Amino acid sequence: MKTLPPLDAILVPEPQPDEVYSARCLGRPLSFHGLKALLGAADYSKAGDRNAGLAAAGETQREAARALLSGLTLQHLHDHPLTDDEGRVDSVMRVNYDIDRAAFASVADMTLGQLKDHLLRSRGAEMQRIGRGLTGVMAAAVAKLCDVHELIYLARKITHPTKARTLLGSPGTLSSRLQPNHPTDDLRGITLLCYWGLAMGSGDALIGLNPAIDTVENVSSILHHLDRLRRRAGAPTQICVLAHVKTQLACLERGAPVEVLFQSLAGTERTNLLEFDISVDLLDRGYRTMAEKGPLRDTADQFMYFETGQGSEFSYGKHNGIDMTTTEALTYGLARRYDPFMVNNVTGFIGPETHLDGMEMVLANLQDHFMGKLLGLPMGMAPCYTLHSNITLEGQQIATQLLTAAGANYYMDVCLNTDRMLAYFDTSAHDNQTLREVQGKLPAPEFLEWGLGRGIFARDAGGAVVRGPRWGDPRQFCESDEELRELAAATPALYGFECAGPRPANAVSRQVKMNQGVGREAIHAELRVEELQRLAPFRVVETEAASKEAHLNSPDLGARLSPQDGEELTAEHRQVQVVVSDGLSAEAVHHNMPDLLPVLLDGLAGRGFSTGRPILARYGRVKLAEPLAERLQAELIVYLIGERPGGDALASRSLSAYLVYRLGDAAVQREAARFSGSPGIRFEYTVISNIYAGGLPPTEAAGVIVEKVSDILAHRAAGNRLEAVLKTAVAPA
Amino acid sequence: MSNAIKLVGLDFGTTTSSAVIAAACLVRNTVTGRTDLDDVRECHRSDMVFTPLAGDRLDENAVAALLDGWLAAGGVRPEEVFGGGALLTGLAAQKDNAAALVGLIRRRLGDALIATADDPCLESWLAFMGSAASLSRAHPDTWFLNLDVGGGTTNLALGRAGEVLRTGCLFVGARHAEVEPGTYRIVRVSRYAQALLDHLGIRKGHGDTLAEGDVAAMLDFYMTLLEGAAAGAREPFAGPVGRLHEQVAFRPPPEAMGAVVTFSGGVGELLYAHLQGKPWPPTTYYGDLGIDLAQCLAASPRWAEHLRRYQPASAGRATVYGLLRHNIEISGSTLFLPRPETLPLNDMPILGSVTAASTDADLGAALELVRRSPRGGCIRVALAAPEAATVRTLGGRIARALRALSFPATLPLVLLVRENLGKTLGHYVTEWGTLPLNLVVIDEVTVRDAQYARIGRPHHQVVPVSFYGLNEPGETP
Repeated sequence: MKTLPPLDAILVPEPQPDEVYSARCLGRPLSFHGLKALLGAADYSKAGDRNAGLAAAGETQREAARALLSGLTLQHLHDHPLTDDEGRVDSVMRVNYDIDRAAFASVADMTLGQLKDHLLRSRGAEMQRIGRGLTGVMAAAVAKLCDVHELIYLARKITHPTKARTLLGSPGTLSSRLQPNHPTDDLRGITLLCYWGLAMGSGDALIGLNPAIDTVENVSSILHHLDRLRRRAGAPTQICVLAHVKTQLACLERGAPVEVLFQSLAGTERTNLLEFDISVDLLDRGYRTMAEKGPLRDTADQFMYFETGQGSEFSYGKHNGIDMTTTEALTYGLARRYDPFMVNNVTGFIGPETHLDGMEMVLANLQDHFMGKLLGLPMGMAPCYTLHSNITLEGQQIATQLLTAAGANYYMDVCLNTDRMLAYFDTSAHDNQTLREVQGKLPAPEFLEWGLGRGIFARDAGGAVVRGPRWGDPRQFCESDEELRELAAATPALYGFECAGPRPANAVSRQVKMNQGVGREAIHAELRVEELQRLAPFRVVETEAASKEAHLNSPDLGARLSPQDGEELTAEHRQVQVVVSDGLSAEAVHHNMPDLLPVLLDGLAGRGFSTGRPILARYGRVKLAEPLAERLQAELIVYLIGERPGGDALASRSLSAYLVYRLGDAAVQREAARFSGSPGIRFEYTVISNIYAGGLPPTEAAGVIVEKVSDILAHRAAGNRLEAVLKTAVAPA
Repeated sequence: MSNAIKLVGLDFGTTTSSAVIAAACLVRNTVTGRTDLDDVRECHRSDMVFTPLAGDRLDENAVAALLDGWLAAGGVRPEEVFGGGALLTGLAAQKDNAAALVGLIRRRLGDALIATADDPCLESWLAFMGSAASLSRAHPDTWFLNLDVGGGTTNLALGRAGEVLRTGCLFVGARHAEVEPGTYRIVRVSRYAQALLDHLGIRKGHGDTLAEGDVAAMLDFYMTLLEGAAAGAREPFAGPVGRLHEQVAFRPPPEAMGAVVTFSGGVGELLYAHLQGKPWPPTTYYGDLGIDLAQCLAASPRWAEHLRRYQPASAGRATVYGLLRHNIEISGSTLFLPRPETLPLNDMPILGSVTAASTDADLGAALELVRRSPRGGCIRVALAAPEAATVRTLGGRIARALRALSFPATLPLVLLVRENLGKTLGHYVTEWGTLPLNLVVIDEVTVRDAQYARIGRPHHQVVPVSFYGLNEPGETP
């Protein structure tokens, strides 16, 4: 087990006042106030940094920043730790300074430009030695000086194998994490996705599921199920359910097979603490618990698994004025503390507010992969996208070809690229096998042996590994055709098992792409205001988003009322205000309102609640409910908004109802603050989601909403506090 | 709260009794909100034991001991049982104390189970579901006819795409003539076998040995009935002896002629074991004609091709598997249940059906039947489309009918709906809480054509619903 030095034992220099870095280009003066600004401007232009005001205004400014950065020594970067918004060195930054002091000393006087050249001239072992002496900020600074060839060439030289049941990341291998996510955690669907993935030679890194429901009971039950599946298939790999670290530790305590401990990480303390609910102390405890009690403690050299990705800090508004690449590298500095078995980068997952198109996503992935490798991490990559960005499957595929050339350890296996739970698009088992064949890679050695034994892989006359006779056949793990059929029936977005070479058959691909097409159109559709006004006497309000594009690319705009509407709306003091907004799918509004709205209005009237005239908000986000509730002094907003479309065409019509309770009463606010631990809390949220013909039908949803509204107003509580109150109310004396 | 549950299936047949205890999870589909039984795993499968008899009665003490042993072996306490059922079938159901035994089982296992005796259409349905449903769904265009041949009865069920469409029941089984194992010396004959022997002119009784020709004649009669019934022929049942052997007539539709035949029950198990290469047990090993009957079935040219090509599931325990896996419907999770303490409701009569097209008089008549029933009752509601306008209109009309009847505020009224709109329908029927009623609306259940429903306690926002007293087709109230 690695010794974890206490935070206060890690030496970090005192923060310095910001310096101004200046240069002239053809007589034009260019200057950057502070290291954060310089690092931000030196990067490729990406949406998150543009939205944060950190990206360079143009090519000249960017190259000037790169030139200035190239001239700074590593000692300079070392002596200027980046601080949080209060001028503090946060715990993530502090952990980043837990470096090999001798390695750092050997390069401290080099400029970043010299370091880059030295790395290009060095062998892998020397790069790894130096990497141990670098902080995340230093690694990010080098990455910003590299072009695509350099990011690939440098990363390719570094290998960092890790070992649990399988050996991951040895040269010449390409592994995969099977991600059998199911929107409902249906064990049959999960089983099918595992069987098909294994049959395509996927899952040698991990079988890891993101649960739909993060409770100890559900996560334990899925862990036991995955364990049974793995044993039945005899596959040498490891399992994980990617719940919160606290949930997993509770599962381990109850005896569930938590073989690998997962957690999402971010590069600032505030993001980790306030959004991910984790601290360095908690991660330390998780690491020590796994080393002492984890089921693989005697087999594995590593047992931690982290997920990261550019932009999470910015999207939560907790990036401390630091650019996305640098906060990502700081995340790696934190991950390094726990010598993880796997790190998985999911840059592209958030949306157009951080990465607008394929080029931004590809470049960010190459940077992340290089920085992670340099800092000593076993990097798996998940170049991915959501339908409301401009990233497409083709951009993602380009990223994987480049990242494989750069030596990525593994990719995801998300069946047919479509995550059925998280509504995003990732790599697939078909992709992994294609990449193995194109770039001459093999699965992890133990897994390869298993696959050869089962006929999933075979050796040709020359001894080369090829697809075997049972590659791609999930039936081999089932007892009967009926079993396979029943499992498949429980799995959405499945269009047949037929393959053509390592690829899905054309008919299958066509269906996958058609569904994505329908989803993208739903996102870009405009609200049909007149049609909706025939259902109810809506008043229309505008947000600060002046166009659909602005709305999609800058989530903040849709959360604020336009200045004019902000002034015109005045206090009405109603109990309930109904608000309808397109959100990320106007089609969801068009398809659900005709059945939902009349019943909802009947119910609110039938229950005798006072209501305001319904509002239709164009280009709205969920948080718009808050300024509306404040302006109107409404007790409760019933906010009906289109959800982000995923991979199922019908689900692009899915609507959510957010019941947003304004904590206007001082005593109620105190109670909510006590319950949540958040003193400044102003609103509580109850959510009813998946309202569409394939989920909760709109007619029934209206009845459910009315009942919830009655509960909220009767108990003066929403969200988890309401559920706690209701539980107490029905509990036997 | 745990989402792990236990299910119990008990089958007391003419010859044998058995139990299967299973663990399962209630898994909620977070997209549709549907909760389903998932990961059903058998935790205990009892041996098939002889149904305990004391003379002409079921031996209640021995049954109680069996029950306790099964529950202990399955590691389940009575209060943990979420659902399942206990069936007394075949000749066991005709014993004098069958009703008392049902009471005993209910007392032992609380009210989580349906316990019923002599429910031949339910038994046929269950046997089909346990034996052939999976095959039937895999070949949705093919008709399947399952013959569950047990000790006392043969339960027929015809279905397509996993749905049973016709059922029937004959008093044809292994144990109408009990003999000393290894011989054909008669120990006892049922009244059906006695009538058959009389009809065949065989004057033999207790202590006499059936000659080879006697056995052949009896089996020939049974095969005529089985093959005739399967083909929808009425002639074999025209005479008094044939008529005596028919409990529920099986009337397949013309388009189902040529249905693939599968077998289950004890005789079915012997048959498929033989087809898989196991030797037949020694002569009358079980002390009855079951082995002989299985041999006749195996030799029938009519079904040889079906037997070779299709292998059903869980032959011997089809009924009990059917009970476990198919007899519990899980309601939707947005049901209308303002008073959860109303549940469970046992033996709730299903008293009518209404649709959006029902007249006000029809609505009133159905509700009046419930009003007159001392324990209240269920009404099936079929809505062609789950549109807001339809639900609002029908809900409003039901509310007005209830007002007109001065429907008692405490009498349980259960509406059973196939679509997912229980809560909204309930709100309209109660006029958004202003009409005082003890109303439960259970949605997302396939309402079977039955006389009674059992609605269990809520568990994770859903309730288990079982149907029994299945009607013969065309008998819907």
